[in-house]
This record gives sequence, structure tokens and C-alpha cells, in this order.
Amino acid sequence: MKWHILLAAFAMLCIAAYAEEEEKAARLLVSKQILNKYLVENMDIVIKYTIYNTGNVAASEVEITDNSFHPDHFTHVSGELNARIDNVPPYTNVSHTVVVRPRKSGYFNFTSAEVLYRRFQEAPRLQVAVSSEPGEGLIVAYRDYDKQFSSHVVDWAAFAVMTLPSLLIPFALWYSSKCKYEKLLKNTKKH
Amino acid sequence: MNKIFFSYALASVIISVAFATDKVCLKPEIVASSYVTEDATVLTNVAFTMQFVLKCSNGVKGISLYAEVEGKLLPAARLSADNKYQISWTEDIKKARSGDYYIKLYDEDKYNAVRKAIRNGESSDSVSPLAVVVLNNPGVYLGPWVNSEFLAAFLASFVSYSAFSAKYKLLA
Repeated sequence: MKWHILLAAFAMLCIAAYAEEEEKAARLLVSKQILNKYLVENMDIVIKYTIYNTGNVAASEVEITDNSFHPDHFTHVSGELNARIDNVPPYTNVSHTVVVRPRKSGYFNFTSAEVLYRRFQEAPRLQVAVSSEPGEGLIVAYRDYDKQFSSHVVDWAAFAVMTLPSLLIPFALWYSSKCKYEKLLKNTKKH
Repeated sequence: MNKIFFSYALASVIISVAFATDKVCLKPEIVASSYVTEDATVLTNVAFTMQFVLKCSNGVKGISLYAEVEGKLLPAARLSADNKYQISWTEDIKKARSGDYYIKLYDEDKYNAVRKAIRNGESSDSVSPLAVVVLNNPGVYLGPWVNSEFLAAFLASFVSYSAFSAKYKLLA
């Protein structure tokens, strides 16, 4: 029994020591978000990486690397998929935004990005962290998207052109006869 | 002992001054390219991204930069190339205004001064920025004003109305 108590006390001490060590270090939460309503081929996809430091020490040399957007499948429009932020102070948010465009349609699994950082200024080795995963998304082909959401101006213009003859021909006939009778009426009045 | 301490302090001051001057960018030149997601029909937030290369006449490299945009303080992310930085933020579609956004860039010292000024409730204008970059948002596209089917229905009803009214006028 006495041994048990001693052991428990020792364990508590270990936990306390560990907790104390924990307290003096940065801890980053990284989220990867896709800020799109629809994923459409050849249209912008906005990816936002948000880093939040829950520790009480600033994280240094924070490096975000995202290798999930292969250049064969995505064109990089703006922003780089490898970025370094020198300092993330405690309890602050830092974000990084990248815009890409998918080259192909179909299902795509958006996986996580990798983050390396130092938990405190003189930390001997880098801490590896992984961001959240947005998960699988369907990239819609541009034609399908256009069919549903375009303004269809060209389609309606074509429709108008097609209906024009059936309106214009009767109108022209009526107008010519009207002009003829008005001329006759004028001539009869003169006499 | 005192003498040693004094010389140590002096040395540290000299070193820190040398260090400080080494880290200050003189005559900063900026070559920037920016991108704003203008077609917001498929987006929930508008992304503003700006990348730039910083050139200093004294050849300073790898300094930390910060930016202030619309009262928000952002750290600049360093990119893979030398002295290339990125500043990016997102804004809700409804809140994103069109027009020019002035991005003021600060180095570490000036950033601290700006933070101090904000903390004291003063304007950050008292601190002169390293450089100011203008990012223009021409306005995001959220879809057509009038749906073309409405326009077509309106035109069709207008044509039929004018035709019928003309007919009744003739018959009357």
C-alpha cells in the first residue's frame, strides 16, 4: 500500500515536471481551409492556412509546406505553397493564403499541409505539425458549372433571332398594306 | 571587475548598434505583383495576395517584415526565393470593398513602434513605413445584375402587349 502511494506521488511529480516543461513552449494549431462554395475546373480555389499559437512562448521559424497541389493537376495563380513566418507570438493568429486553379475535373482529396517550427527560440530540433485536412471534394467541369450558373445571354439572343422572322414578316406585310390604304385614302380625299 | 563590466557593456552596445544598422534596409525598393480573386461567384471569401521582392541599397537580406492594412497588422511570410515576401489576407465577400488598399510595410523596429502607438491609442501614421504598396481591388463579380430569363420574359411580354394593343386599336 505504502509503495502504491509512493509510486503515485512519483508519477504526479513526473506529470508536474512534464507540465512545467510543457508550459514554456509554443504549441501551434494549424488549419487548412478551402474558401469556396463550388470547386470548378479552371476557376480560383482559395486555400487559407491559419496558425494559432496556444502555447505561452512565441514559435519561431514556422515553415508551412504543402505538397498536395501537384503542378500537373493545379496551376498556381498566386501565393506560394512554401512560406516561412519568423515569429508567431503566443495566443495570436497568423494566416497565409494561396490561390490555385484545378486543371482537371473529378474527385480530389485535399490532404494536410506540413508545418515545421521551433517550440522556443533555442530549441535544438524542429517540431513537426500537420494541418487539418479539408477532405475530399468534387471539382466540377467548367461546362457543367456554366450550364447551371451562366447568364445564358448567348442562348437567349439566339432564341430572339430565331423568333424574329415569325414576328417581323407578318408585321411587314401588315405595315405595307396599311401604307397602301393610307395612300389610297389620301388620293380619294383630294378628289 | 567594474572595468571589465564596463568594457563588456560597451562592447555589447557596439555590437548591438552594428547589428541594428546591419538589419536596417536603406533605400528600400519594392517590385510587387498582386492578385485579387475578382470572380467571386464560386467563393465565400475574397483573397488578397501580394508578393514582392525587397531590394536594399546596403544589401540587407532576410529581415522580418510586417504589414499594416486597414488597421490590421500582418506578418509577411518569407518565400523560397531570396528576399521575396508574401502578404495575404481574406475578407468576407460582403465586407470586401473595392478600390485601393494601402499596404504599409514595416521592419521589426518600426513594427514595434506601431504596436506601441496602437496600444497607446495613437494613430500609426506617426511611424513612417519602410514602403507603401497599393493593391487595387476593381470590385468582385458576384454574377449578373439581371437574369437573362427575366429580361427575355420582359421583352416577350412587352412585344405581345404592344401587338395586342395595336390590334384592339384597329378593331375599335
